[in-house]
Amino acid sequence: MGVSVSRVSLRLLLLTGVALYPATALAQAVDYQALQETVGEPVTTSVTGKPQRASELPASTVIITRDDIVRSPARDVPGLLKTYAGVDVNRWTAGQSDVAVRGGVQTYNARLLVLVDGRQVYLDHYGMTDWNLLGVQLEEIQQIELVRGPANALFGFNAASGVVNIITRRVGDAPSAAATAELGNYGIGKLAGSVTLPIAPMIGIRLAGAHTREDERDIPSRLLQPTQIFDVASDQISGDVTGSFDGLEAVIGGGHATNSQIEYLPSQLLSNQDYRSSNVHGSVARDTSWGGLTLNGYVNWLNAEYGVGTTANTTDPIVLRNRIIVTQASSLVRLDSDNTLRLGVEYRNNRLLSAYQFAERIAYDVVSGNAMLDLHPDDRFALTVAGRLDRLWLRQSGVITQPAYDDPRDFDRAFTRFSFNAALLIHTSEQGMLRINGGRGYQLPSLATFGSRLPIVTPSPIPIFVAGSPRLSPVLMWSGEIGYSHPLGATRLDATAFVTRTENAIASPGDGLQTELFLSPLPSLVARFRTTGNYTTYGTELSASGAIGSLTWRGNYTWTHTDEQLTSLTLPIPYALSPRSTTPVHKANVTLGYNVGRLSITGVARYTSATRQFAFSSMPQLLLYHVDDALALDARVGFRLTPALEAFVAGENLSLASGAAVSPIPADRHVRAGLQLAF
Amino acid sequence: MLKPWTLAVGLVALGCATPLAAELNVPIAVRVVSFIQPSPTGVVSAAILYDPGDAASEGEAASIERGVGSGLSVGRSVIRTRRVPVSAIGTLSGFRVAFVTVGLRTEQGSIAVAANRSSVLTISSDRSCVQNGHCVVGVTASPKVQITVNRAAARAANIRFGSAFLMLIKEI
Repeated sequence: MGVSVSRVSLRLLLLTGVALYPATALAQAVDYQALQETVGEPVTTSVTGKPQRASELPASTVIITRDDIVRSPARDVPGLLKTYAGVDVNRWTAGQSDVAVRGGVQTYNARLLVLVDGRQVYLDHYGMTDWNLLGVQLEEIQQIELVRGPANALFGFNAASGVVNIITRRVGDAPSAAATAELGNYGIGKLAGSVTLPIAPMIGIRLAGAHTREDERDIPSRLLQPTQIFDVASDQISGDVTGSFDGLEAVIGGGHATNSQIEYLPSQLLSNQDYRSSNVHGSVARDTSWGGLTLNGYVNWLNAEYGVGTTANTTDPIVLRNRIIVTQASSLVRLDSDNTLRLGVEYRNNRLLSAYQFAERIAYDVVSGNAMLDLHPDDRFALTVAGRLDRLWLRQSGVITQPAYDDPRDFDRAFTRFSFNAALLIHTSEQGMLRINGGRGYQLPSLATFGSRLPIVTPSPIPIFVAGSPRLSPVLMWSGEIGYSHPLGATRLDATAFVTRTENAIASPGDGLQTELFLSPLPSLVARFRTTGNYTTYGTELSASGAIGSLTWRGNYTWTHTDEQLTSLTLPIPYALSPRSTTPVHKANVTLGYNVGRLSITGVARYTSATRQFAFSSMPQLLLYHVDDALALDARVGFRLTPALEAFVAGENLSLASGAAVSPIPADRHVRAGLQLAF
Repeated sequence: MLKPWTLAVGLVALGCATPLAAELNVPIAVRVVSFIQPSPTGVVSAAILYDPGDAASEGEAASIERGVGSGLSVGRSVIRTRRVPVSAIGTLSGFRVAFVTVGLRTEQGSIAVAANRSSVLTISSDRSCVQNGHCVVGVTASPKVQITVNRAAARAANIRFGSAFLMLIKEI
């Protein structure tokens, strides 16, 4: 059944693509840098698929530019995102970060889709993002785009609370290079570089590589932890070739990345992980006078080893091998000078191989169609509507692990979901703009959530397993927001009020396991991943930014309130999910930047109110640990030795606020220094 | 009465580096050239059309000359300018671009004819030149960058732009 479905899906996709090509063609390769320099502000395609100015987007969006990245004290993408409104960044351990948008803080956050140049780096095996396994370093990035709120109508499942799209630098007309060498306390070390080379008038190559490391933070003895604790190490190498031929651009490339670190699993157990990922990707974009066509495809492979060194004599980690194949075709059509239509189709095949699941192979195919209409009836109004239909076929194959806790036919399942986004923009004055938008999206249960089958070590005389469930349904999210933005001279003001409703949230079993008893062939207990209830997040985001001469400034405040109807938090806590406890109510950030001559100075102050975060005590018992409110200070000072070479010193959490990581493990003060080359 | 330093601070806060609304924003105007399809390569000659007797026109011509200097690189091309008195617009052949300064409203029609004959991209800070279909591109930078393309004028001059660019600007 599964095989025939995938064959039918592929055929359908190819037929649809062939049908689209001659009639519509393209969504062109976008030169973000050139467009930004032309219109005087960042440009993105992440909201609707068409190029749009940052000030005219039909969704709440953050665009972090190359200049922002270069001047920031941050060392990675979560570090850059954490200073913006509506964004929560938890650094659970030295290596593990989670980024949550508008509440819903939890480990292994499955609700934020992360892409690099449109290619998914979000990991489907567990529904999470390993930010040290992106395969891209800050040196290579042109801009980072964050869309707040569901964006499923364009991006499909898992863009349930937002999307981060990381855009890398294009190969230009002249060779360019960027490199960083830095050392710091806590064993921080980084060597990263990228080069772009035009090797012929129409052909360029890009190569990048990096090695980073850092010591793990001191984990308090009151917290349950494995015998061995990994330090953080990651490596990456990537490259691609770009060819441009009179309105047509083709890119082909690949990469490989590794990462070792200790992480909090969704169950809140600390565990050492080894990740290895590889990818190949290719795309063709054709620009025409009426729009364009993009064909895109990639394959991602992941080899994840869980529980490495859990005990001193454990040498047999849990191995999960995930492969995802994605092909996409989209067409952007300028209906006239003001209105645009976008049509797209997508096919993806996703499979997970492991000895620790219901069967040797758990897989699904998804076929999707999406459409977006962007209408501008006059200069005052703009209306954007987008919809997407996803059809998923789940299946299992290979040897079934015994004893089996589900009927194999439970995996022979298909379902359809429709997601949408809509936005109305009203220009209230020459520059003021009111935005009313909302949508419905879905978070797909991960492959592990469907089919995992993990034995857990307990003193119980009856074996206990944590198991997925093939009967789980996607988590539903509704969102609505109203925003207003207005420039006042050189100052830009933005205010947004939002509400997000999450229904049938899925959680991993925690403590005091709620189990099913199986008696055949031998007694065993099974605790399931399951839906644990609903929660609603309300909030406001206030932002302002501007420049006075050489001084740039940016500030924001976020208030977030959560109502939840989830499983009880009385001991023993059965499921480690409580966004009301884990999401800070108040957050505020102020960033100041000053450039004079060869000197650049950036200072950041970040306030986060107190929270409670889940962790297992050494007993072991799942508890909510109080995390103090924190005022963290970050800074970076750079001095340009030559036009291309800068020496810098940077620090994060200089105020040594223990709650700055918003983790049960207290935050450290990090200081590092190095050299940065860019030309 | 405002003290001089107050005025200075105010100018800095408003971004005094931005050209006045009446003057063409040269970096943006030059950037527009890179979105022509197919992309121009090598040296691109640009005429600065001006009226020798008009102070505003001469002033803008001088401003454009200063902005371009000895040549501005954009994409795979280098823009180089040369002043052309409006009385000599019959000599637009050899140019790929023409910057139409202010103060030439009575001559805009004949400029368009000459530009169309030689497939020259006309760019102006004078909004009316674009609205009347005599210029292909209008560029204003205050309060924010607005680029306007006259579709009919572009077609008449056989000028085509990339679709990503056209989705970001106002086409009339």
